[in-house]
Amino acid sequence: MTPCCRQLAALCALSLRELYRRKDVWVVFTLGLLILAPLAAIKPYGIGGGSRHLFEIAQLLIWISAAVIAISVAGRQFPPEFEHRTIYPLLAKPVSRTTLLAGKFLGAWVASVSATGCFYLAYGLFAGAKMGIWFPAVFCQAFALHVGFLTLVTALSLLGSFCFTPTANLTVCGVVVGGMFAIGQRLPEMTAGQPAVIRALAKLIYVAAPHVEFFDLRRRVVHEWGPVGWQVVAAVLLYAVVYSGACLLLAGWIFRRRKC
Amino acid sequence: MDAAISIDQVTKRFGAVQAVSDVSLTVRSGEIMGFLGTNGAGKTTTIKMLLGFFAPDAGRVRIFGADPVNAAARSRIGFMPETAYYYRYLNLRELLRFYGGLCGLSAASIRARTEQLIPQVGLADAGDRLLAHYSKGMLQRAGIAQALLHDPDLLILDEPLTGLDPLARIQFRDLILALRDQGKTIFFSSHELSEAELICDRVAILKQGRLVWLGSCGDIAGDGGQNLERIFLNLLAPGTPEAPP
Repeated sequence: MTPCCRQLAALCALSLRELYRRKDVWVVFTLGLLILAPLAAIKPYGIGGGSRHLFEIAQLLIWISAAVIAISVAGRQFPPEFEHRTIYPLLAKPVSRTTLLAGKFLGAWVASVSATGCFYLAYGLFAGAKMGIWFPAVFCQAFALHVGFLTLVTALSLLGSFCFTPTANLTVCGVVVGGMFAIGQRLPEMTAGQPAVIRALAKLIYVAAPHVEFFDLRRRVVHEWGPVGWQVVAAVLLYAVVYSGACLLLAGWIFRRRKC
Repeated sequence: MDAAISIDQVTKRFGAVQAVSDVSLTVRSGEIMGFLGTNGAGKTTTIKMLLGFFAPDAGRVRIFGADPVNAAARSRIGFMPETAYYYRYLNLRELLRFYGGLCGLSAASIRARTEQLIPQVGLADAGDRLLAHYSKGMLQRAGIAQALLHDPDLLILDEPLTGLDPLARIQFRDLILALRDQGKTIFFSSHELSEAELICDRVAILKQGRLVWLGSCGDIAGDGGQNLERIFLNLLAPGTPEAPP
């Protein structure tokens, strides 16, 4: 293993260790499983088809929990280092700021993907036991795209942690992700009748904001609509990689210029 | 002897505050240099430039001939910060494993160094205890252990005696002298004048960002019954004109 890989592995392990030693993540995790388990067991109104509605709720809960974990874990990578001054011994080691940022990103990414993976595993087992279909292709695509979503959100939150206070970062990222899910796709139509300035602003937001709705295959999974083309999945994942790369480049530029 | 630290006409300003002004200083390999001054004299700013946290506005800083802004140059530096805050959710072994990984050490050498250092800093019984349960003095010792982990040639210690009880101070002094005997260079800032006088080969005194005194502790002893405390007071008492180094 090269020294650079050892540095990345050390930073990644630190993030994971922090995640599982913090009680709040376990609370989210336990709550998620406690909600998922009864959903798998009950038959609403005595109708078998009513289960789909419950699966939709379960999927929504997975998305909310995963987004909260990704935003909070990534947003917590750097601010406590500055606040508790642990950044000083860190920067004094023979590690570049770029490696430090990459390691922190990797740690937060692995932490949120592994937590989400557990949610998906539980969902897949419960849904399989109830519907008799085990881990269909669309389910695997949904997980792959969810990983893309987590990559993007982790990079966005990491960038935000250099620009805002931790609470403001959590709020801004939450509003951006929630807002784009709700109206991101329809933003140009919604502002079609507005003055030119507002239309231009909406266009700018539409181009610059992260289109998290691209990653959402919940309805396909719940209603078993079958998989999308793999080239579509690849294109959306490429979008996640490019957008995350841009966020990390900007975060790296801010971090290198910051005086400690 | 080679210069472990070379500070050449270094100046640093933060907005309206002139933190360090035209400081030049050379620390030779294998010596213990005390870096003294009142609060706000510019000691920590100078140390941060030595560690490459930021570059000086003017002048040049070199560690064994290399610019410390480059990560590779810092592989020869061990640093212990003034405030010993470390990750509270780790125990000492985990902390050293983490820092060892950052230094690029292999798992086997981290394990070997950890088992060697933990008893050396007097924490043999506390290696598996979470740092959240450490006292201030124990955290200082943990700080020394992490600074020594990758066996650096130069140790930069920022106020290392803060929070140590008298026994720990004696142990710390012995450790520093033993490290010097092993050929390490030690550069430490302190307010503890008597300790500095006992440990250091040479002492530099900063006042308002300027180097106002530089001399060997041997010179002080032979200078008409002077001691470091008297020199320090004469130089730094309010209204005292600045003396050239």
